[in-house]
Amino acid sequence: MNSSRRGFLRGLGVGAAGIAGGAAITAALDRPSHAAAAPRPSFHGVHQAGILTPAQPQATHVAFDVLATKRADLEDLFRTITERARFLTAGGTPPSVGIAGPPPDSGVLGPDVPADNLTVTLGVGASLFDQRFGLAAHKPGALTAMPAFPDDHLDPARTHGDVMVQLCADHRDTVVHALRDIARHTRGGMQIRWRADGFIAPPRPSGTPRNLMGFKDGTSNLHPDVAAEMDQHVWLTGNDLPAWAGGGTYQVVRVIRMLVEFWDRVSLLEQERMFGRRRDTGAPLDGDHETDVPKFAEDPVGEAIPLTSHIRRANPRTAESEPSRILRRPYNYDNGVDAVGDLDMGLVFVCFQRDPDKQFAEIQRRLAGEPLADYVQPVGGGYFLVLPGVRDATDHFGSGLLSLT
Amino acid sequence: MTKPQAAPLLVAALTLTGLTGLTACTGADTTGAAVEVSRGSCGVGWKAPHGGQQTVSVHNVGPVTMEVELVDPGTHGVYAEIESLAPGTTRPVSLVLVRGSYAFTCLPEDSDAETGPAVTVKDGPAVGASPVAPVSEVDLGPAVATYRKQVGAGLATLAGDVTALRTALASGDRARSQAAWLVAQTGYSRLGAAYDTFGDAADAIDGLPAPGTGDFTGLRRIERGLWHGEPLPALGKVAGRLATDVAGLRKDFDRERTDPNDLPLRAHEILENTLQVELTGDADQGAGAGLAIMSANLDGTTMVLEAIAPEIQQRYSRWGAVTGELGALKSLVDAQHRNGRWTPVAALSRTGHERLDGALGQLLEDLAPIAAIGEVRRTQ
Repeated sequence: MNSSRRGFLRGLGVGAAGIAGGAAITAALDRPSHAAAAPRPSFHGVHQAGILTPAQPQATHVAFDVLATKRADLEDLFRTITERARFLTAGGTPPSVGIAGPPPDSGVLGPDVPADNLTVTLGVGASLFDQRFGLAAHKPGALTAMPAFPDDHLDPARTHGDVMVQLCADHRDTVVHALRDIARHTRGGMQIRWRADGFIAPPRPSGTPRNLMGFKDGTSNLHPDVAAEMDQHVWLTGNDLPAWAGGGTYQVVRVIRMLVEFWDRVSLLEQERMFGRRRDTGAPLDGDHETDVPKFAEDPVGEAIPLTSHIRRANPRTAESEPSRILRRPYNYDNGVDAVGDLDMGLVFVCFQRDPDKQFAEIQRRLAGEPLADYVQPVGGGYFLVLPGVRDATDHFGSGLLSLT
Repeated sequence: MTKPQAAPLLVAALTLTGLTGLTACTGADTTGAAVEVSRGSCGVGWKAPHGGQQTVSVHNVGPVTMEVELVDPGTHGVYAEIESLAPGTTRPVSLVLVRGSYAFTCLPEDSDAETGPAVTVKDGPAVGASPVAPVSEVDLGPAVATYRKQVGAGLATLAGDVTALRTALASGDRARSQAAWLVAQTGYSRLGAAYDTFGDAADAIDGLPAPGTGDFTGLRRIERGLWHGEPLPALGKVAGRLATDVAGLRKDFDRERTDPNDLPLRAHEILENTLQVELTGDADQGAGAGLAIMSANLDGTTMVLEAIAPEIQQRYSRWGAVTGELGALKSLVDAQHRNGRWTPVAALSRTGHERLDGALGQLLEDLAPIAAIGEVRRTQ
């Protein structure tokens, strides 16, 4: 009955990077109408969904600590997450258990769970590779705990984790439903360590969505539809070490608070010089339109775009800086009030790359001391290895990793 | 050993959705069986029944409200139920049906149960919903008797513990009083009082500060004073009132009846309360004894489970897992009792806290079905 339909979707999914990504480039500029036209993300595939998938408007990033103490229990945990993700991303009617227990589904999405473009993306942190599961010898060299950078204000309670679950969907209730479902089915296997909820604004009025400093964020991103760029900067292959991670990628999550009250007291000119772009159009300060490419080489002393500006430090557009490019997939967050009545809001910065130190951290090193650093405080996050995709209905997350001896 | 798994029925269902695709997606298979019920005609009209995820609409065409159950006509085990189906209303029953026989049983108000024609499902998956033999009030009678006997004995012990606490307070020895308080507090917590078990008496014996006023009396009030330097004679007065309240509870408990439904509910409710107020540290008035109380609450849960085991054990496939998890959690908690001192919840390491949270969370998930399975149902 459903198998033919699933098979169809699966088939689409395998070769889908191009299709999904093709929508992505335009979607990045014109959400949500183009995103709505993108094909439904496929759970099965060489790569996990939620990486090249055009960013759905709602997300949560949840770090868990694994409670299982044996390899077999860790495998049970990953199988359970796989089964829940497979159901939740496909949607359907949760089975009823009659009088044998409370309803297995929270009912938050009604009796029939819509797929709602949900993606469930699973990563593992360096801390998973310790003596508990006999994985210490298999820790990929590029997977480390996230270091504290010079301008960081990391809160240990919001940093690191054995597992990262990224949930993204078109609507908030779908994200919440998925989180409750996964947590309920894994109570004894893992516990939430921290979470960061995010949303993406619609284009205001057009182009790349704005962050909570009022600036368009992500204009010069890599192009998910350009397979060569993804292969060069994002995906691990079977030729990388370790081979079991082929099809995966490294994810950096950074919870970056923006001191928005302070920021709002800064003159527009100074704000724009810190970013290197116009606040209204998103155009680089040496251009007219958002999509204009900044001509750093023609401005060696930073007359138009200051040498210390964010866009110039982050991506100098030189041959040397090219290998450090990353695929960004950030969300805004808005999370209550601090002790002095200021708003706790900012950015859940998320990026994907082949090597976090050579890419994300390299960019961080260039950004160190940028003027913008006075207005943002990285408070949490972590480095994670996003596992290879779940190939088909018989596969599960981490099957390659957990079969190692 | 706790396992990161769902309750068995969920796992079974997952296997279905995941591997065979039988229940997932659009609900295309759940179309339209419909039956009518009325007095003298129960569940007529279910044509060509199929297995898999099914929804059957049940329409009460009669003049009286009735309870309707989907049953196995051979054993009268219940798959699903509709409580209070009013005249003229239609309610769905959704279930994963496996091969086998099914029938509806109607239980109209004030008249006998009646089971309608059996239908046979000849297709369908190997795993799906399983019937549960209904539990009657009579069935739970011995469990209630066992439970009441244990609680009665526990209350007698508590009365003695409170007397010892008063003696300690009168002696002027704070350390001795603190030790006597812990004995009394855990003695009470071991009775598994949660929610309405002991009614107003529970607030007087074990209540937390009232919202707004902060007023309270009883064990927690004494704890507050003992760990905040309050003069012992003043606490002696609170303990005097506590003794009166405990005596009142003993008298009331002897007189009052225990609703059999309470026992299956207590299976998870005692520990729901533990998770909410002890493991969070919210109830702590200074002693840092949350884990001692948690350990006592686990004993209280064990007492309830042992009482209902004869009826529930064979009805619940994860009974063995539950008792295993309960024992493992008890060991985990008691490992925080070293050299006569309990680790305060606030002093737990992050990992230590997460282990307790996760083990308790998993146990609660697995205890929860007991309340549904053990709910008292009409059987005739």
